[in-house]
Amino acid sequence: MIEQLGNGLLLGVIIALGSVALSLLYGVTRIVNFAHGEIIALGAVMTLFFSSSPDSSLLFFDRYSPIGINFFGSIVISIILCGIFGASLEIFLFRPLRKNNFGNIAVLVVTIGLSIFLRHIYLLFASAKPSSFILELQRREDYFGIQLTPRNVQVLVLGFIVMILVGLFLTYTKTGKAMRAVRDSSDLASVTGINSDYIILVTWIFSSMLAGFTGIIQGVINNVRWNMGFLILLLIFAGTVLGGIGTSFGAMFGGFVIGVLVQLSVGLEFMDGHTEAKNALALGLMILILLIRPQGIFGTKDRIS
Amino acid sequence: MSNNILSVNSLTKSFGGLEAVNVENFQINSNEITSLIGPNGAGKTTFFDLITRFQDADSGSIFFKNKNVSKTNSYMLARLGMVRTFQLTRVFDRMTVYENMQFAGSSIKNEGFLNSLFNKTSLRKDEGNLIEKIDDTLKMLNLYEMRNAYARELSGGQKKLLELGRSLMKDPEILLLDEPLAGVNPKLADNILEIITNLNAKGINILMVEHNINAVMKISDRVVVMAEGKIISDGKPDFVRSDKKVIEAYLGSSDE
Amino acid sequence: MNKYITASLLLLGCIAYIFLSNDTGSARVFVNLITFAGVYGLAAIGINVHFGWTGLLNFGHAAFMGIGAYTTVLLIPHSLGREGVIISTGLPLPIAIIFGLIASALLGLLLGLPTLRLRGDYLAIVTIAAAEIFRLLVRDFENLTGGVYGIIQFSDSLQVYRPNFVDVISTKYDVSSAQLWVAILTWISIVLVIIILSRLQKSPWGRALRAVREDEDAVRALGKNAVWLKLQSFMLGAAIGGLSGIFLVFNYGTVQASTFVPVLTFYIWAALILGGVGSLGGPALGAIIFWVIIAGTDSISRLLFESPDGQQLAGVRFVIVGLLIMLFMIFRPSGILGKKEELLLDVK
Ligand SMILES: Nc1ncnc2c1ncn2[C@@H]1O[C@H](COP(=O)(O)OP(=O)(O)OP(=O)(O)O)[C@@H](O)[C@H]1O
Ligand SMILES: [Mg+2]
Repeated sequence: MIEQLGNGLLLGVIIALGSVALSLLYGVTRIVNFAHGEIIALGAVMTLFFSSSPDSSLLFFDRYSPIGINFFGSIVISIILCGIFGASLEIFLFRPLRKNNFGNIAVLVVTIGLSIFLRHIYLLFASAKPSSFILELQRREDYFGIQLTPRNVQVLVLGFIVMILVGLFLTYTKTGKAMRAVRDSSDLASVTGINSDYIILVTWIFSSMLAGFTGIIQGVINNVRWNMGFLILLLIFAGTVLGGIGTSFGAMFGGFVIGVLVQLSVGLEFMDGHTEAKNALALGLMILILLIRPQGIFGTKDRIS
Repeated sequence: MSNNILSVNSLTKSFGGLEAVNVENFQINSNEITSLIGPNGAGKTTFFDLITRFQDADSGSIFFKNKNVSKTNSYMLARLGMVRTFQLTRVFDRMTVYENMQFAGSSIKNEGFLNSLFNKTSLRKDEGNLIEKIDDTLKMLNLYEMRNAYARELSGGQKKLLELGRSLMKDPEILLLDEPLAGVNPKLADNILEIITNLNAKGINILMVEHNINAVMKISDRVVVMAEGKIISDGKPDFVRSDKKVIEAYLGSSDE
Repeated sequence: MNKYITASLLLLGCIAYIFLSNDTGSARVFVNLITFAGVYGLAAIGINVHFGWTGLLNFGHAAFMGIGAYTTVLLIPHSLGREGVIISTGLPLPIAIIFGLIASALLGLLLGLPTLRLRGDYLAIVTIAAAEIFRLLVRDFENLTGGVYGIIQFSDSLQVYRPNFVDVISTKYDVSSAQLWVAILTWISIVLVIIILSRLQKSPWGRALRAVREDEDAVRALGKNAVWLKLQSFMLGAAIGGLSGIFLVFNYGTVQASTFVPVLTFYIWAALILGGVGSLGGPALGAIIFWVIIAGTDSISRLLFESPDGQQLAGVRFVIVGLLIMLFMIFRPSGILGKKEELLLDVK
């Protein structure tokens, strides 16, 4: 079991980051965004496109070669693109829906359509085969009994730093405080003195950039696949529900716990030969939590009914 | 004990640090129109929610017809005879006025899956019997002409009437009305007041929250004043009108 | 009335398209299409009971379809898994089907209990998760389900009932008699289910579901148990899903872990939204149009890619499916047959 702890920490960070982004967007806009996974994947797919060498065998849309610029440059560009993409979604899709009084459920169905649409654009764009970033292979080393590559360690540290930054942003900056104010009020319009359109736009950008970053580290740790976002989305939901929908800290915590649990469960005896079922375990846990404490560990009751 | 239909002991509810409701002791006497007034945010709606079990109280107990209903489900309470309306009117938008009324009036038994599927003669008879009652109620509320309109096509005031009409289909013993006059023009308001008085004359107990003080003073047998979650005054309209604490509470708040 | 003319024209157009776009074997293509359209249409009718009638978001229909199908198939004679273990005894098919439907309804109950007390979007998350759990368990528990190797040789239980005229027609038009039989049964079921549902829709029960869809709190305030009504609706829709799943596997003649993948649900949603949420015949019509569109997208793939492989074909299909779901939900949420007055725009 302990040999899975390293992988568990890595998955935990990925899901924690994905969960905060999802939860923040949900809190501010009340949109359960099923396309969240696709924004995660966008970060990874873009980075793959920008950073892979033009000489590699990778082809995009069956005919275009990758750009082949510096890896860190690619990451920055990709994250910015994710932000722009999130902003366009808000401006061209979700804002008009909001202005036309679309209910939450109708919008949810729209995000499902959007998710299917985007995911298969990636399939056409980046092919069905998993690809890796151009990073040299590293050997796992022993850190306090946990097996990780040096790059894994860097990713972990970076992930935690980003989480702390997100926390600081929400707690201390004016925009962050405004986001929380909108989130914690039951009625968007009732928050006086805050331009809620602006806050929602900022939230979309922020959440999308965070999601893109999540996808990139997922790509660094594992690989890049067209459906990577969809696969991880369900675990992110599980994490968010565990922590309590609409709470940022709760989402981080819940996501982290789910990630670690999923990986650790691989080492359990009764899971022998059932490795695929590890995700089923996390999802089952989510349903169980809804049964016994639907508001999650850190949530409050009024959000759930 | 037997003279009150509803009785409440040490009922409390807080949201975070805010104590929205803290009512030590409250009874509704049979056959009265009782009005609950108080500044915005006094906790009136929350108090309604607690009594009707739409929200869980933090502590305290509720007795309805001398039966402890502190843990009873909201819909069971409604079946026992305590029916409420909502401050923000809730009609079934995409059903016609008529269907709104039919749903309210139809029996639980007939809404059973198998009964509905096999459409027994008794079911058809019951549904037929409803028609007259629905028509009468709609006529009384001046909604008869609108019976085939979708509920969302009604004006705000008409929706209030529909919600009231729906509640009446349940033959309630006590009717809790949350701001029945809000957003209603003066003439319609007079109508509604008359209807409420008539209902009371027929033996239905009324507890209503209302900001229209004149109306309240006119028709109530008893007025109860809430401020910051507590009952601060309780008595005949004239008594309450001259109660210093009430005047303070209203002047102290920025709204009135 | 206008929309029925639109609908008939669309249907005619679809049929014409099939015969014009295939010089050879158009009858085969036609039977194949109406079979799948029937199965998807039936499944969509189930989701319609959930979503259109009651406002419940079920994104895990594949699981309801799957559990119904697996239960049925495992109860009749079949051959299982990698080694092809033959199980030659079993229940008569009609009884097995009843058990299958009960299993689907029970899964509905199981998922409904924790979630139907909560806000609507939780149900969406839980059902989608349940479909994924179902897929993973079917894959992993090979002893029971045959895993990726699946279950075969169970079709005879259905085909023994095949009347002679089906064989006559299928020889004449050179189509698969087994598939034609499944198609006929599927469409008969659709008609029966629609008849039952139209009774229910007009009944106090159906009215109560609509009230729940509109406003649960008001339902409660009128003394009705909204959660129980939702549970019943959920179980009924799940059972209808189970029936469609049964037909789906009899159409394939096999069932394996990849038969009931979560994306199946999204196909069905697309069919539902196309046809018209809330209407009785809409889902079935939507399923036909959906399958014609799917056939059409393959031509688009050939324009985009020189020789599209399976992934690319699927990719283009789903891009279109996603677009359709979005566009219809935004611009015509009542679909082709739905009532405009009952648009679903402002469902909370
Ligand atoms: N779900 C909730 N979460 C947090 N605070 C709440 C909630 N519901 C009510 N409150 C607070 O409780 C207090 C009482 O609210 P309530 O709606 O009962 O007032 P009211 O007397 O009905 O006011 P009004 O006359 O404006 O309708 C208010 O301060 C309100 O902000
Ligand atoms: Mg109020």
